[in-house]
Amino acid sequence: MKRESMHLLLADDDRDDSLFFEEALAELPVATQLTTVRDGEGLMKWLRANAEALPQVLFLDLNIPLKNGQDCLLEIKQSKELEHLIVVIITTSFEQGMIDLLYKNGAQFYIRKPSNFAQLKNVILRVLSAVEEEISADAQGHYPQTARDRFVLSNEI
Amino acid sequence: MNFTSFQKILLSSIVVVAGSGLLGYAVYESNQKLLDSKEWVHHSERVLYQTSYILLLGKDIESSSRGFVITNDSTFLEPLHRAEKVVFDSIARLRQFTSDNPRQFRRMDSLKYYTQMLLSLSHRQVQGKDSTVFLARSDVASQGRLYTDKLREITTAIQREEALLLLERIVANEKRIAVFNRFWIAMVGLMALLMILLLIVTGNYWRQNEEKVKRAAELSIANIELDFQNREKEKRADELLLANQELIVQNKEKEKRAAELIVANQELAFQNNEKEKRAAELIVANHELAFQNKEKENRAAELKIANTELVFQNGEKEKRSDELGIANHELAFQNKEKEKRAAELKIANTELVFQNGEKGKRADELGIANLELAFQNKEKEKRAAELDIANQELIFQNGEKGKRADELGIANLELAFQNKEKEKRAAELDIANKELTFQNGEKEKRANELGVANQELAFQNEEKEKRASELLLVNKELEAFAYVSSHDMQEPLRKIRTFATRILETENENLSEKGKDYLDRMQKSANRMQQLINDLLAFSRLNVAERKFELTDLNKIVEDVKAELKESIDDKNAVIESIRLCKVNIIPFQFHQLMYNLISNALKFSKKGEAPHIIIKSEIKRGAVFSAEEPTVPAGKLVAGTMYCCVSVSDNGIGFSPQYKDLVFEVFQKLHSREEYAGTGIGLAIVKKIVENHKGFITVASALTKGARFTIYFPVANDPARAVAPHRVNLRRPIDTKDVTS
Repeated sequence: MKRESMHLLLADDDRDDSLFFEEALAELPVATQLTTVRDGEGLMKWLRANAEALPQVLFLDLNIPLKNGQDCLLEIKQSKELEHLIVVIITTSFEQGMIDLLYKNGAQFYIRKPSNFAQLKNVILRVLSAVEEEISADAQGHYPQTARDRFVLSNEI
Repeated sequence: MNFTSFQKILLSSIVVVAGSGLLGYAVYESNQKLLDSKEWVHHSERVLYQTSYILLLGKDIESSSRGFVITNDSTFLEPLHRAEKVVFDSIARLRQFTSDNPRQFRRMDSLKYYTQMLLSLSHRQVQGKDSTVFLARSDVASQGRLYTDKLREITTAIQREEALLLLERIVANEKRIAVFNRFWIAMVGLMALLMILLLIVTGNYWRQNEEKVKRAAELSIANIELDFQNREKEKRADELLLANQELIVQNKEKEKRAAELIVANQELAFQNNEKEKRAAELIVANHELAFQNKEKENRAAELKIANTELVFQNGEKEKRSDELGIANHELAFQNKEKEKRAAELKIANTELVFQNGEKGKRADELGIANLELAFQNKEKEKRAAELDIANQELIFQNGEKGKRADELGIANLELAFQNKEKEKRAAELDIANKELTFQNGEKEKRANELGVANQELAFQNEEKEKRASELLLVNKELEAFAYVSSHDMQEPLRKIRTFATRILETENENLSEKGKDYLDRMQKSANRMQQLINDLLAFSRLNVAERKFELTDLNKIVEDVKAELKESIDDKNAVIESIRLCKVNIIPFQFHQLMYNLISNALKFSKKGEAPHIIIKSEIKRGAVFSAEEPTVPAGKLVAGTMYCCVSVSDNGIGFSPQYKDLVFEVFQKLHSREEYAGTGIGLAIVKKIVENHKGFITVASALTKGARFTIYFPVANDPARAVAPHRVNLRRPIDTKDVTS
């Protein structure tokens, strides 16, 4: 079931990374619509205001002001109206304990911010196609979580 | 010749005084001469005056006589009379004045002569008026004029002579005055010079005196200070001496305590021996008693017919003897227990002497043992009391028996004797109990002393723990800092790299070849920095990350690493052999990193044109065995009785000179330039740290072009379980430490 345009939400306070993300989306052969929020409080406010029409995917940076990514993830997954939102972590840090915790808390994918633009495009595309084609809601509208061994997306093309 | 200042002053003063005296004498002398010359002037003036006066008188005589003759007026005669009265006195006076000059003296005679002549002429003129009035007046007049002229001649001569003399004297005097003036000026100048010298010398002397006084004052202050410091030092020395004495006393006290403890232990050992002896004696006594009881039974059986009534009593006695037997056995058992306790106490005491750390526990055990001993002593006392009662009963029964059967008298006497023996034994036991009580008191004292010593030890341990925890905290902070800083450095670097790729992609046609080249170089530098940060992060994370040991198959780890390095292995046609790899308790992800670094190093430093051949081996043996077999193991590193796992990775690569065998394990140490072999110089440092995290160590044997063999040793449990560790897929990308370097 292909949609006309995918609605994506990016929570990242870094203007450069936001710019990369935007440009990467623009160069992808997928029609997308991007909304960007700059901090954790802003993210939660936006989500609650748009609970009726949530985006397909939230790309969540862990290191954002006011409320950090982990807390936002916990809050989303504990909220009845938001728990089905697909959350993809996109961050600089790479730490086994943190990754385990994020998986346990219900994140869908984990992306380590690549240092190469082509890799960034590639990894976003992989997330989007997975969301489009592989993850479909069950009868209760729940999305099954990714298998643990596919949780961390490699930047290798 | 050296004069002191004072001598100089004295000498100068004497010279000045002598000069002043000489000057004074000279002044006096010249004054005398001046007075003389004045006297001469005065004298000359008087001569001149007298001569003039005499001439005047002569003129008066001539003129008055002439006037009288002319006028015949007697008033004209008055000057004549007056002159007459004084003229010869004047001449006499003049003669007196000129007595020193013979020429003048002769002139005096002429003067007197002509004056007399004039006088007599005048007298004649006056008388002639009366009688010789007619005497030719002109003759008389010329005669008078003649005399007066003569007089004038003489006086003029006298006066000239006198004036000449006066002139001579004045000239001589002036000469003398001029000479004296020169002498006087010279003398005054000399005196002034001497005075100035004296003043200077005296001034110097005064100044030196003042300096000396100052110095003396300063010295006296310094002396007072020195004195004070000396006193302070003496005080310190006294204090130190006191402290030393106290230390000596304390040391002696400690030695005494130690000696007392040793003596007490020896006493305890001796007493235990004694107790053992007593117990042995008691056993012998019990055997005797048992034997005697049997004898009594025999006698009782013989007396059965005659003493049917006593049968029951004998049965009673048997029961009693049985009880006694049991009681004796119990005593024997208790004695054995005591021996055991004593032995345990002995061991505990010797251990106490050597092991302070164990002292607290032992002290508690001793306390319990003492309580038990006390309890046992009480039991023994009870038993003794019971024995006492039993003895009394026996005495009573013997009395009964004596009444009923005289034949038993002998037996009763024996029993009485036995009772007395038992009483003795009871008394001995009593004494032994008292001794034990005393010993228990002593032991409690020792236990208290040990308790104090233990508290001190505990305090010291606490202090050490505090220090250790502080150090731990500092280390953690440092590690956290390294981790955080390298983590945060990644962010901007990643952006630089991304922007560079963006420029190369989107602005490709706008860039000159040079621009592209620069960007390319920039990319490479940024990539390298990324690798450095990654490696540093991995290095610091080795401390931060939790260390969870799991039983892991080394084959599995090697296979995983081979899969990761597949590309490189295929490129170089490398052969990797695994020999006897075992299962060991390790931190899996760290060991993975370790094997990755060692194998990738072996691949990287392979010889050009020769396929790398890497051999990975492992063994588990006792430390002593490895120490004997492997000459590369540093002495003292392996504990002989502990089981170790030894894993070695050897290659046929370029190797390195043995002198660098320690350097290669240090952070950022490389043996090759980056152009030759890429790397950050952290890989082997990480390996070393991982081995240390496993409480092991690493050695390397290598020579240039002869390949290298890295060997790690780490302790393992003596009986490693053979179960396979749960299979766990490692999702983490291995940290890029293709470094090696080293």
